[in-house]
Amino acid sequence: MKDPKSERLMSGNEAIAQGAVEAGIGFCASYPGTPSTEITSTLYRLAHEHDIYVEWSVNEKVALEAAAGASWAGIPSISAMKSLGMNVASDFLLNLNLSGSGDGGLVIVVCDDPRGHSSSNEQDSRFYAKAAQLPLLEPSTYQEAKEVVPYAVQLSQEFEVPVIIRSTTRLSHSSGLVNLGVVPKRNWSPSLPKRVLYNVPNPHLKHRDLLEKMKEISKKFMHSKWNKVPSVKDTGLLIVTSGVCHRYSKEAIQILEAENVDTLNIVTTYPMPENLITDSLKKARSILFVEEVDPFIEDEVRSLVAEGNEQFKFYGKRDGSLPAFGEMTTDIIIDALAKIVGKKTERKKVTYPHYLAARPLTFCAGCTHRNFYWALRKVRKRMGDNLFVAGDIGCYSLGVFYDESMNSMQAMGSGIGVASGLGQLERFGLDGKIVAVAGDSTFFHACLPGLVNARHKNADMTFVILDNATTAMTGFQTHPGSKHQEGRLHRIAIEDIVTAIHPDYFAKGDANNIPELIDLLHATIKKRGLKVLLLDSICQLEEARKSLLDTHTRIIIDYDFCRGEKCRICASDFGCPAIGWNSVIGQPIILDNLCIQCGACIDICPHNAIKEVSEE
Amino acid sequence: MRDPFNILVAGVGGQGNLVCGRVLAEATIQQGLRPVVGDTFGASRRGGSVLTHLRIGTTDWAPLIPRGEVDILLGLEPIETLRAVLDFAGKRTIVIMSLSKVPTVDVSSGRTEYPALDKIVESIEKECKRVYVLDTHESLKESGSTRNLNTFMLGALSAIEENPLPKDVIRKAIETILGDDDINTSAFDLGAQQCKKLLG
Repeated sequence: MKDPKSERLMSGNEAIAQGAVEAGIGFCASYPGTPSTEITSTLYRLAHEHDIYVEWSVNEKVALEAAAGASWAGIPSISAMKSLGMNVASDFLLNLNLSGSGDGGLVIVVCDDPRGHSSSNEQDSRFYAKAAQLPLLEPSTYQEAKEVVPYAVQLSQEFEVPVIIRSTTRLSHSSGLVNLGVVPKRNWSPSLPKRVLYNVPNPHLKHRDLLEKMKEISKKFMHSKWNKVPSVKDTGLLIVTSGVCHRYSKEAIQILEAENVDTLNIVTTYPMPENLITDSLKKARSILFVEEVDPFIEDEVRSLVAEGNEQFKFYGKRDGSLPAFGEMTTDIIIDALAKIVGKKTERKKVTYPHYLAARPLTFCAGCTHRNFYWALRKVRKRMGDNLFVAGDIGCYSLGVFYDESMNSMQAMGSGIGVASGLGQLERFGLDGKIVAVAGDSTFFHACLPGLVNARHKNADMTFVILDNATTAMTGFQTHPGSKHQEGRLHRIAIEDIVTAIHPDYFAKGDANNIPELIDLLHATIKKRGLKVLLLDSICQLEEARKSLLDTHTRIIIDYDFCRGEKCRICASDFGCPAIGWNSVIGQPIILDNLCIQCGACIDICPHNAIKEVSEE
Repeated sequence: MRDPFNILVAGVGGQGNLVCGRVLAEATIQQGLRPVVGDTFGASRRGGSVLTHLRIGTTDWAPLIPRGEVDILLGLEPIETLRAVLDFAGKRTIVIMSLSKVPTVDVSSGRTEYPALDKIVESIEKECKRVYVLDTHESLKESGSTRNLNTFMLGALSAIEENPLPKDVIRKAIETILGDDDINTSAFDLGAQQCKKLLG
C-alpha cells in the first residue's frame, strides 16, 4: 500500500493553484468564470498562509493589467480566466506581448469550455498564443497541471514574456492524485518597474524582437521533457494530441486493441517544437490529430510538413475524421480510430424513450430573477409584445429559457451596448421599446462604458440592474458592489454610479414585490429617454450559505380558493421548482423540502389561494 | 479487478453526487489505487442532471468513462439512472438504483407524468447485466432522514461483490470526509443491509 500522505487528490484547477504556490507566486488577480474559478479561489484560501496577494478583479482585463504591473515590479504573478475572459483581456495582451512582462514572471491560465457547458459560446483560446506570439503549454494530467506552472514562471522570467497555460473543462473539473512539492523561500522583492514599458514609436521592431524570442523558445521546447514521444518503433498510425485528449487517445487505443498505434503528446504546444514533431512523424505512415475544439496543432503540423517532402496521410478535423465542434471524448476517438485501422466497434446507437423527461436549467426556488421575468412577461403582454430585451451574462441569462424573456445574450456587458444602439433607431421609424438587463457583478465588469455611451448619446431605453449583491453564478465572489466587504475592501454603491451619470429617470424597486414590480417596470419602460431601474434582488443560495433563512413559516395552498386545473398559473406558468402538481387531487402542492418561503407565489396567484402560515 | 474499474454516479444537482465521488476516491486511495473523479460543475449543478465518473486503477485514466464501460452504476434518481444507463452502461454494468424521485419542471407543472417505475426498470434491464432497486424513500423514512441518500447508496454499493472497495474502507472514508456523525454511518449500514437482502 502506498503512503497516502505523499499524494493528495486535487482537481486540475487546484493542482494549478498548488503549482502557483510551489512557483513562489506573490500576486494573483482574476475574474471568476467557469471552468477557471477554483484556481483563484484556491489561492484565495492559501493567500494568508503563503503571503500571496489575491484579488477578484473587476474584470479580466483589469486582472491581467494588475498582474502585469506586479510582474513588472519583479513579483511572480498569475491571472486565471475562462475562455471568454481571455477575449476581454486580449486588448491588453496584444500590447503586453511586445512590451514584455518584466522580470517577475507572468503566467496566464485560460480554461476553455468545449461544448459550452457553462459558456455562451465555444472557442479555442489557443489562437491567442499565436495571435500574440506567446508560448503556450497544455498539461494533460493533474501532476502536469501542477508542474507546468513553476516551469511557466521560469520561462516567463527568462524571456520576459507572459506564458499561457491552457486547460479545458474536463481537466479543470476532474480530480486525481498529485505529488506535492516544496514551497520555495521567497527570492524576490518589488521595485518600481523600468520606464520603457511601451511599444511606440516602433512597434514593428518590438514585434521583430518577440519573434526572435519565440525562435529561442521553440528550440527550448524541442528538448523539453514535457512532450511524450512515441515508444512503439513501427508506428502505422501516430496520434498527435494534447491536453486531456492524450488520456482519451491512450484509452481509445487500448479499448480498440489497435496495434501499431502510438501517441505523441504535446505539452509545449506553441511555438511548435518543430524537430521533435518531424522526428516523431518519420516513424509513422499516417497521422491522426486529436485535440479540444479547433484543429490548432493539426494546422501547424500540416503547414510544417507541407514544406518538406514527406508523404503522410493525415486524419483530423480538417478532413472530417473528427468533428470540428463540440467536446472530445474517448468514444469519438474510438469511432475515428476504428474507421482508420479498419476495425468494427460494437457500440449501438442510443435511442431515448419519449418518457425520459429532460431536466432543463431553471431558476432556484426563491430566486428573485424569476419574479423579474414574470413581471417582464406581464409588461410585455400589456405592451402588445412591442419590446426587445437585450440580455447579459449571469444567472439571469436563464431568462432565455423563461419564455424567451431575454432576446439577446452575448458577451459580458453587451446588453447595454446593443440597447444603446437600438435606442437610436426611432429616427428611422423603429417602433418598440428597448430594455437592457444586467446583474450587479456584470454591471461593474463591462456595463459602465455602455451606460455612459447611452447617456451621452441620449439613447431611448431602459436599463434594469438586478442587484443581488454577489457573483452568484460562479460561487459568491465579492465584487465592488457586494454588501459585505472583507477587510480593507471599499464598497462602491451601484446607485451612486448610476445617479452620477444623471439618467433621465432613476428608480429603485424590490424584486420581492411582484405587483409593484410589474407597475414600476411598465411605467418606466413607457417613459422616454434613458431610464435606469435598480432592483433589490436576493440570491437564496447566498442567503442559505450565510444561514439567513427564516424557517419558522410555511407556504400553503388553500384549496377552498384554488381553482386547480382551471388556472394552473402557479404550477405551469410561474415555474418555481418548489411548486408541484398533484394529479390525484388536480391541484398544485408546495414541495416543502424545496420551498424557501420567499412568498413570491403568493403574489402571482390571482385567487389569493397561496398563503404564508406560522409553523407553530 | 479490471483496470480501470469504472463507477458512474448519476443524480440531480443537490442529491449528493459530489460527496459520493469524494468518498469513493478516498476509499480508492486507502486501497493503494489511483482514483480519477470527473464531476459536473457550473450551471447544470443547480437542479440539473449531474454525473460523477470514477475511474479506479493503477494509472490516471481519462476523466470520462467511455460508453459501455461502466462496471457499477449508482443511480440516485430513477430518471437520471435511466439516462445514464442509455448513455454509458453496457453488458457488464451492474445498476443500483434509488427510488428517490426528483420531479422535472415539466412533471412538477403537470405538463407530463413522471414515467412509471416498472417501465424505467424494464428499459434498464435490457441494457445491463443486473439491476438492484432500493426503496430508499421507505428505508430512509425509518431512519428519520432523507438527507443521507448518498451514504445509504454507498452502503448498497459496498454490498455488491464485484465492487473492488472493501466495505469497511468505504465506511472509514465516509467518516474521514463527512466526520464521524452517526447519521451518515448508520445510513451506510442500512444501505448495505437493504442491498444484501436484495442479493438474497
